[in-house]
Amino acid sequence: MKYMLLMQGTKADFEWYAKWSKEDLMANMNFMRTLSKELKDAGQFVETRGLAWPSEAKLVRAGKDGAPITDGVFPESKEFLAGYWIVEVASAEEAYKIAARLSAAPGGGKDRGTMPIEVRPVTSGMPEEKL
Amino acid sequence: MKYMLMMNTMTASGATYAGVAGWTQEDVAAHIAFMKNLTESLAESGELVDTNGLGLPDQARIVRAGQDGAPITDGIFPETKELLAGYWIVDVESPERAYQIAARASASPGPGGMTLNMPIEVRQVMSGPPEQL
Repeated sequence: MKYMLLMQGTKADFEWYAKWSKEDLMANMNFMRTLSKELKDAGQFVETRGLAWPSEAKLVRAGKDGAPITDGVFPESKEFLAGYWIVEVASAEEAYKIAARLSAAPGGGKDRGTMPIEVRPVTSGMPEEKL
Repeated sequence: MKYMLMMNTMTASGATYAGVAGWTQEDVAAHIAFMKNLTESLAESGELVDTNGLGLPDQARIVRAGQDGAPITDGIFPETKELLAGYWIVDVESPERAYQIAARASASPGPGGMTLNMPIEVRQVMSGPPEQL
């Protein structure tokens, strides 16, 4: 089964991250790289991607003529995806274990505790009974 | 440039999916056919990198590491929390092209064939770590 592990944060979280020291950022990135490599070695790695900063985010809808209407204003509370992993594992519990490792990645603040990781099964996205 | 087109249409309260539960089988079939068609046209134009749908809110968990590193899972979210329902990653020449594709996805059909006018969040996918590092 495939699971998506999502790292998310508000604009305030991103701004906090931007203030980390170079050493903290390097330690965090090294941790993430090592985790990816271990997942690859274990045959559990599907993919990982990082996204651009929320300031670049746009919300797009179709206008009457089908042309895009773009909007860059989001509520303060909006959580933006910072990056994700997709892993292939035998059970949800295994996905949670990997998420817990990610959660404990070294950070730039000592008082923020662990990072919340959202874990979601990768499926068709539609209710089964409707398919 | 790669862009991620996200359907953040689910809320933790399951409101959207309560809505989908009221759709007829035909409405669901028309919606899925539209999405498949969009995905196929992106594959044909060579712009499709990846697409996935995600499970329903009742299967979503927030995981943190406990003191011993073991996972602590929580399935309770604020009612208003947006959940990713699905996404496409496309490789395109410009952000404008990504917005065009997002507008097509936005106009997918809903109940009775009406246009859903879904908001699609568009974000660039970084190929490597942020440049300031």
